[in-house]
Amino acid sequence: MTVKESELKKVPPCTTQRSLSNYLLRDHPDENKWADCVHCGMCLESCPTYELTGQEQHSPRGRVYLIQSVAEGRMEVNKQFMDPVFACLDCRACTTACPADVDVGGLIEEARGQIRQAIPLTGWKRSVNKFFLQGVFPHQNRLNMFGNFLRFYQKSGMQKVVQKTKLINVMPQHLVEMEAVMPEVQQPVRKKFNNETVIKAKGETKNEVAFLTGCVMDVMFSDINESTINVLTRNGNDVSIPKNQTCCGALHVHAGDRDTGRKLAKQNIEAFQDAEKVIVNAAGCGCMLQEYGELFREVEPEWREKAEAFSAKVEDISKYLHDTGYEKPKAELNKRITYHDACHLAHGQGVRQEPRDILLDIPGVEMVHMPNADRCCGSAGIYNITNPEMAGAVLESKMENVPDDVEMISMGNPGCMLQMAVGVQKYGRNQKIVHTVQLLDWAYQKEEGEK
Amino acid sequence: MTVKGIDTKDKHIINLAKIVGGARSILYHKEDLLAYDCDAFTVHKHLPRTVVFPKNTQEVSQLVKYCSDHQLPFLARGAGTGLSGGAIPINNEVIISLVRMKKLVSVDLENRRAVVEPGFINLKLTNSISDKGYYYAPDPSSQYCCTIGGNVAENAGGAHCLKYGVTTNHILGLEVVLPNGDIIEVGGDGIPDMPGYDLLGLLTGSEGTLGIVTKITVRILKNPESKKTVLAYFDSVEDGSQAVSDIISAGIVPAALEMMDKVAIEGVEAAAFPVGHPKDIAAFLLIEVDGISAGIDEQINLILEVCKKRNVREVRAAKDEAERERWWANRKTGFGAMGAISPDYLVQDGVIPRSKLPEVLSRIEEISQESGLRIANIFHAGDGNLHPLVLFDARIPGETEKAIEAGSACLQACADAGGTITGEHGVGIEKKEEMRFVFKDEEIIAQTNIREVFNPDNLLNAGKLFPTPGRCAEVKQEMKEAVLS
Repeated sequence: MTVKESELKKVPPCTTQRSLSNYLLRDHPDENKWADCVHCGMCLESCPTYELTGQEQHSPRGRVYLIQSVAEGRMEVNKQFMDPVFACLDCRACTTACPADVDVGGLIEEARGQIRQAIPLTGWKRSVNKFFLQGVFPHQNRLNMFGNFLRFYQKSGMQKVVQKTKLINVMPQHLVEMEAVMPEVQQPVRKKFNNETVIKAKGETKNEVAFLTGCVMDVMFSDINESTINVLTRNGNDVSIPKNQTCCGALHVHAGDRDTGRKLAKQNIEAFQDAEKVIVNAAGCGCMLQEYGELFREVEPEWREKAEAFSAKVEDISKYLHDTGYEKPKAELNKRITYHDACHLAHGQGVRQEPRDILLDIPGVEMVHMPNADRCCGSAGIYNITNPEMAGAVLESKMENVPDDVEMISMGNPGCMLQMAVGVQKYGRNQKIVHTVQLLDWAYQKEEGEK
Repeated sequence: MTVKGIDTKDKHIINLAKIVGGARSILYHKEDLLAYDCDAFTVHKHLPRTVVFPKNTQEVSQLVKYCSDHQLPFLARGAGTGLSGGAIPINNEVIISLVRMKKLVSVDLENRRAVVEPGFINLKLTNSISDKGYYYAPDPSSQYCCTIGGNVAENAGGAHCLKYGVTTNHILGLEVVLPNGDIIEVGGDGIPDMPGYDLLGLLTGSEGTLGIVTKITVRILKNPESKKTVLAYFDSVEDGSQAVSDIISAGIVPAALEMMDKVAIEGVEAAAFPVGHPKDIAAFLLIEVDGISAGIDEQINLILEVCKKRNVREVRAAKDEAERERWWANRKTGFGAMGAISPDYLVQDGVIPRSKLPEVLSRIEEISQESGLRIANIFHAGDGNLHPLVLFDARIPGETEKAIEAGSACLQACADAGGTITGEHGVGIEKKEEMRFVFKDEEIIAQTNIREVFNPDNLLNAGKLFPTPGRCAEVKQEMKEAVLS
């Protein structure tokens, strides 16, 4: 007889003893979040990294299990734990798929916080991380300097020289690809409207809103910010841009730097204290702002209530327009457009139909369905920089789903826009990448021009 | 000899890595193996020796041959969504993961069949052919993520199996790697009765104990011309159960006839796909009829009438496809939804004659009260396939054991009512002792003798499906101790 029933005796105990936890540092992953997971596996197919590797430690269920295993003392916070936790795109597709609403995204971010405390970054990764996350993004003036440099780089002819002489190739391949599709840098709206406390609505004022311009967004995509302001004022909104606002902290929290995340959160909570509504046009930022409460679950809990009250005011531009009503443009755009669901809009905020409705309301727009539209493009914050190989594979399968005969791909997140632009260039496609709110703005502008 | 990227001295790992082409297709660090220490049955956990990811039948055959030559226990795993522990490596097995063999090999609409690799996801087959008007009928609730290879191993059922039959009714042919590494093909390309033994029937549902399936030819069906779905709320479980019997007695064969009780409704309404069921109802029935358009409305009217006779509180047909889909998403995610109201659950899978529904359901209610654990019921009422979900919290000492006992008592109740212990989830490690509720020693031995023919060294998925003859009581004690320790 070779059946080894006696082996069953070696089964590890099913019960958890909290004292066994290998999370030794403060702000540890929330036990209640993994208690919801019953290991059913419904999340597996939703996960891009599981699809690519077929390995369960790279699936949502697997990651939640590992996070739980550390708490149960069955695993250490080490490289084998770090790899799957940091390979997660944080795309939240699993939260949409999960029957029990397990907050996988929240657990991943909390686990990353533990890992970064236990295993700090070293070498060039540390320097790059520190330079951008702590040195640049939270500081408006430094961001502006960076923007000025980029503008000089593009306008002075330096970009052309660098590209032509192949000097650009000293950078890693994925950065080369991104540099090639970098949008033309223009003046940030925070600079442009620096002297105005409130940008008045065109016509009668119906609502007052505050606008979070975003850090990188306002440098790299200030035209989208302008479109957002145009669309808001056109529809009867007074728009204010609170001066003390800062980076939302999403990139920091994704990278495990929860302390900086909290610092930025507090600054934003105070900056938007008087606002009734906080409008965001970057899905990643919007999602982060709506989850500020999570940052103060264990550390500085006295901020939690304030954070939650702030989060309740935050809304994506497309949802806000959809819910409060907007004027349908009269001019025709005559474009064939497909829509890509940014993960942090669709899975993170549940905003799916609103942007599509806006596009459909523009005369002449023909919407073409993109299969798996809510599948991650691989941008995932700075994931495309930190995990280029996986991000590239995710992008490839995304591009396979972009219909051939469309002229534009519309979306609601700057990270996706850069990544999709890389995809269009890399796979020899010719679609223009646009933000949903830009299309609406262009239709309004065309209407004005036709008057 | 070393393989690039492999940092172990274990010669078996190195040799297995060579077969699958290197470090990217093998896991062997303890931390990487943790996610494989159980499947969707989480009561028992055991680490595998290693997990390998073959790309094709040849690699599977070589892996199996290597394991057999070196007497290493091994087993096959798909998505790991099994509910009876069939893929748990209780003997420190080499896990052969088939998830990277996930191609749709061919579709032959003319002859209504498709060939898939074992790692191909169930729902993807229907999605790939639906635009041409075809679908694959077996629809286990985990169809969003479970593999067809796993469906074959477990002979998976699903909501629509009442009318269309379970997996075995849809399998036309298999390519199988036997436990010695030989590759054989069984079944014919749709030929109804091949000469010789019915190996196709034997292998389907053998829970990975006779061989590893590497290619599957399945039957595909034309979409029904019309489909209608009805939701009926009842104030008593008794009335709901009677309505089930009445519908079938009235001569209707619904495509699906599902039931959920109060605790289950509480779960799905607290979870991700709520539909707004009233909180105070005792149970609801989800009834779907399909077929040619003519006659569908009469069937629906008949169902409405039957329900009204059984004091239904509210009954109505889905107003559109979107509503129908919402109702099904709510039902199909039901098990996972229990996470919203309980940290752990253990699902049972008894089958009983339809007429015994009220009696057995009230016995289950008693078991719930005796054990002090809540039990939710989500099940295929039409074919009498019960799924009592025992809700518990593994962190509370003693609760896991209580849940196992309550689950076993539910199966005893099914067996006592003239039914059996599993309809579609398989026996695995979970229900092997309960096999005694329905089989005599001689009947079990007749089956293990067959296993010996295919799997003489018992290296492939040992310790599953059958109890050890004569040691029943002893083993039960061991299992209890294992859980308690």
